[in-house]
Amino acid sequence: MNEKNFGEKLRPWLQRSASEVGELQATRLKSARLRALDAWREPVRLLGVVTVNAGTAQTLKYSVLQQALLWLPIVILLATLAAKTLSPEADIGELDAQLLTGELPIDAFLDQDFGEWLKSASGSF
Amino acid sequence: MAQERLRLLLAGLAACVSLAAFPAGTDPKAPPTPQTPWYRLSPQDRQVLAPLAPDWDKLPGYQQKRLQSAARQYPKMQPIQQERFQKRIVDWAAMTPEQRKAARETFKGMQKLPPSKQDELRERWLEQKGAAAAEPARR
Repeated sequence: MNEKNFGEKLRPWLQRSASEVGELQATRLKSARLRALDAWREPVRLLGVVTVNAGTAQTLKYSVLQQALLWLPIVILLATLAAKTLSPEADIGELDAQLLTGELPIDAFLDQDFGEWLKSASGSF
Repeated sequence: MAQERLRLLLAGLAACVSLAAFPAGTDPKAPPTPQTPWYRLSPQDRQVLAPLAPDWDKLPGYQQKRLQSAARQYPKMQPIQQERFQKRIVDWAAMTPEQRKAARETFKGMQKLPPSKQDELRERWLEQKGAAAAEPARR
């Protein structure tokens, strides 16, 4: 039984009982109806293919957002790692740029004495 | 559903770990980096790498890529650093891969020291080299 048929069957019963409804109940029913009308929204067409009611659309949107929030950090991490591993030359290039522009000339980094001092400085640190 | 999601999550993490543990660049069987001919460089790269123009096409692809990457830092450098870069890049490119590797290792080692220690080492080396340069002049 669909919603419309159910409504049709229920209507005479509701109308018969309507006269017996007290003022307080009538007011409560009226406010419930107004609330329901307020909450009702136009059905949403998804990707121009299917029409779903607004509540379903919202649930879908929420679940997509939830999935995205779950996967986003992993995707970012993967992308960063992939970028780093696929371009090791870029990292070395940046290091070379620092080395070439520092105060000490390249000779220093090839100098044996300097290497020894560095070792002892690293050891004492 | 939750189990499937957890499985996917774990698979993603495993992929991250394997990428981190076995970076592509460390594979010795990886194909060599292709060369980039001088004429295919961007005008900016050509300007920065101009001192290397005569030898550029003889450099291996991986070295070209590293130099291009270093050249990309050029606009961010201070004028004095740009001057040093231009002066040193020819010698740098002429060095053997082993020399460059050794220089990088020493440089990285120095970077690990606290700034005060780095200054101390720098001063010490510059002083020693200064004295050594002055020595033959005195004789």
